[in-house]
Amino acid sequence: MGLKAYLNDIVEAVVTTAKGMRITARYGVDPREEVTLQYPEERWEIPQGYRGFLHNDIKTCTACNMCVKVCPVDCISLESVRGADKKMVLCSYDINIGRCMYCGLCVEVCPVNSLMHTPGYEMASVTRGELILHFITEDAAEIKARVARQVAEAAAKAAALAAIKAVEVPSSGTAGPPAAGTPKPAEAQAAAKAAEVPSSGTEPTPAPEKKG
Amino acid sequence: MTTRTDALPTQEMTINMGPQHPSTHGVLRVILTTDGEVVTRALPDVGYLHRALEKIGERVTYAQYMPFTDRLDYLAAMNCNCAWAWTVEKLAKIEVPERAEYLRVIVCELNRISSHLIAFGSYTADMGAFTPFLYAIRERERVNDLFEMLCGNRLTYNYARVGGVSGDAPPGFLEKTKEFLDYFEPKIDEYNNLISYNKIFVHRLANVAVIPAEDAVAYGLTGPNLRGSGVPFDLRKDEPYSVYPKFDFKVCVGTGERGTLGDCFDRYMVRINEMRESVKIVRQAVARIPDGPVRAKVPRLFKPPVGEVYFRSECPRGETGIYLISDGSVNPFRLKIRTGSFVTMSIFEKVTRGLMIADVVAVIGSFDIILPEIDR
Amino acid sequence: MEALALSLVHAVPPLAGVPLWTVTLLLMVVAAAVILVFALTFEGVGSLVLRKVAGDIQARIGPNRVGPNGILQFLADGVKLVLKEDIIPANADRLLFKLAPYFVFVGSFAAFVVVPFGVGLIAADLNIGIYYVMAVTSLVVIGVLLAGWASNNKWALLGGMRAAAQIVSYEIPVGMALIPAVLIAGSLSLQDIVRSQGGLLGIFGWNLFHNPFTFFSFFLYFTAAQAETNQTPFDLPEAESELVSGYNVEYSGIRFGLFFLAEFGDMFIVAALSTACFLGGWNVPFFHVGTLPWIWGNLLSLGVFLTKAFAMVLIMMWVRWTLPRLRVDQLMRMAWKYLVPLTFVNLLGVSLWLLVFRGKGIPGMIASLFG
Repeated sequence: MGLKAYLNDIVEAVVTTAKGMRITARYGVDPREEVTLQYPEERWEIPQGYRGFLHNDIKTCTACNMCVKVCPVDCISLESVRGADKKMVLCSYDINIGRCMYCGLCVEVCPVNSLMHTPGYEMASVTRGELILHFITEDAAEIKARVARQVAEAAAKAAALAAIKAVEVPSSGTAGPPAAGTPKPAEAQAAAKAAEVPSSGTEPTPAPEKKG
Repeated sequence: MTTRTDALPTQEMTINMGPQHPSTHGVLRVILTTDGEVVTRALPDVGYLHRALEKIGERVTYAQYMPFTDRLDYLAAMNCNCAWAWTVEKLAKIEVPERAEYLRVIVCELNRISSHLIAFGSYTADMGAFTPFLYAIRERERVNDLFEMLCGNRLTYNYARVGGVSGDAPPGFLEKTKEFLDYFEPKIDEYNNLISYNKIFVHRLANVAVIPAEDAVAYGLTGPNLRGSGVPFDLRKDEPYSVYPKFDFKVCVGTGERGTLGDCFDRYMVRINEMRESVKIVRQAVARIPDGPVRAKVPRLFKPPVGEVYFRSECPRGETGIYLISDGSVNPFRLKIRTGSFVTMSIFEKVTRGLMIADVVAVIGSFDIILPEIDR
Repeated sequence: MEALALSLVHAVPPLAGVPLWTVTLLLMVVAAAVILVFALTFEGVGSLVLRKVAGDIQARIGPNRVGPNGILQFLADGVKLVLKEDIIPANADRLLFKLAPYFVFVGSFAAFVVVPFGVGLIAADLNIGIYYVMAVTSLVVIGVLLAGWASNNKWALLGGMRAAAQIVSYEIPVGMALIPAVLIAGSLSLQDIVRSQGGLLGIFGWNLFHNPFTFFSFFLYFTAAQAETNQTPFDLPEAESELVSGYNVEYSGIRFGLFFLAEFGDMFIVAALSTACFLGGWNVPFFHVGTLPWIWGNLLSLGVFLTKAFAMVLIMMWVRWTLPRLRVDQLMRMAWKYLVPLTFVNLLGVSLWLLVFRGKGIPGMIASLFG
């Protein structure tokens, strides 16, 4: 290469280096150019709508199963039984936040807005079991038993009421011995009702580990 | 180059640029066969990040698949979300409200800026200048703040929905976007002064891995890699989709300004210039965004008509095309994703012949590949 | 040393029975220990300052948790390195693997003994000072080659070979760029070179301003020496992002610590040499430091010297965080096609200047105009 190109090379190298060094020098001496947030003493202000950990307001939840169906990674699991007033009663509601990918589809689809995101993002745990959030603290079997009792009581009441009604009404043409249509003994009916407790819980596959 | 006499035989060395390497942009394994410092063969070995995304698509519903597209190219998650949404809408012929399309364009272009920032930052870090990487990350954090305000997450946004977007822009979002653009545009000049035209950086990139235009087209390169070789093909202009025809922007093409046309420097400069064009697009979109709904009514258990569709969109790393076959049920029958990075790797072996090991790093950086896209 | 030993024996009568060579040896050991402590402290604090400067330039804070403002970070790093497991790869050459860090560290530390810290503060005022430094810092090449080979790792081997080629190539411009200072002073001893820049000319007595050729010499020396010490933009042997740390990839614990410390030691040597040869060393402007009482003179000159040397170290760090790194063939091209011809031309220029102007520099000539 010619002498001119050679010297040009040197000059260009020096000039571009100097330009770059001027920029880094400005950053080096200007104290306003620090963008570090000293966590955990300083924290980022979480904006509205941040998709943090999930929280379900159990009192509002109707156990409709929409969140369970829509979750792409099957991290929500719930068990519910039909209660005495024909509405579903939650026996257990678990979210495995270790599995959750915070996509927000479950919150979007909840019809009663009981499931929502919280601004929480810090829950380092030692075992995976700690990452399963149980929103119902009572034992599921106890709830089921209690609901079964309630249903049985309601059924008994209903049967008793029906029996009273049947006796009160002077039926025409049925003064003979009880026909097949008349209600069976109340206890048998209640027992029958109690036996068919519908448990419409859905277990995720595979079930989350409950160790820990 | 080296001249060898026959009296001194040399042996080739096989080095493994393993899945764990600081500059392979992910878990890419390259098996290098070198003669000293000169590479005779560089064989990429991909698959370390395969997560069966396409198979997962057959088990979940169309709406449930959206978060998985986030993980397809996590640096340009908005683009992948919108690509999936556009594909399904094309199949089912769903009309998307205009405000939703404008919001999609805004977030896609902002994400293009942040993706190119990472490309720029990690490329300069691979070349040894550690400072621009941190400046790029600082800018990117501001974009992430905007996205956090908009959809609640900083990396895996899950923002687009079939039929629109998940939520409207909160009050203050458009003003903050404008603020960010005003802050960011002079920074591009600062980066050019700091590193882009630095003699050492130019020397590392110029005349390295020249890809002529015919080769680029023949091997299926797309996006900045294709435009760096001088081919002015940009899906946003040549096969426009969404509301892109309404915006005025240039297609950035490599010009061979510091070496040969189609070398690493051209591909790098195309990305820098594309950031400027994206800023332009977002400014126009923010100024002209109409009011209205942001989501079309789509049935909860969405069942598109039977058929197949292919939709391609311009993602920061090339063209992301999704081929979707539907059999009328709630789950897709088959979906195949064609990503820019995967096809770019096809030219890798050809282009690295005769380069030095340090240049292999430069080539990987100039292609701006990302492994989740390659391995899916 | 011998003179000091003699005066010590005379001053402290109980030592009269001890043979002189023992006292001299003891004094040498004490001096070496003092220098070692200084070197290690500088290397530790230097690593912290490097990270803080990096933080400032990169719009963030450096380490600030250990001790106020992170001052004790290097102690934490040191303790961590010492407590780490000592891993030697299975098929590595054990003897060479263990030997390599010592070569590198000795190569860097042995040059500390001729650094002129102050008027009377020099561990050994060898009359071949600069020659000695050039020779001893070449030991680093052996250490790096050993490390690259003995690690039984192709990446390390590549790093070691690159390092050897680089360091050996850049020895020539470094030497050639230092010779103008030697020519002006007329001696290889570093104290003589520093004294030749003293006097009433103040700052303009520095070799930097002596003539335009020495001005360029300084920058050529600085550039070439930055390559000698494997700093970015010449840090190919340990290119973090390409060779995954090059020749010290298999080293862990305090063995890695020795490489790391040697790098900072080399940085200080470069800074000290450039200060001593071009920036006036420990000379205080417009002042003869020798006229002060022994302790104040030494303290003042030490302070001046350290300020200048640390400023040079900071400049090296500043350049390090700004520039990308050169590829190995570009590095060699720069050494042989740019630095070597330029330093030779420089040397020729300085020699001709000294011949024509009889050893006077530009400030000297201007001063003599005014009488």
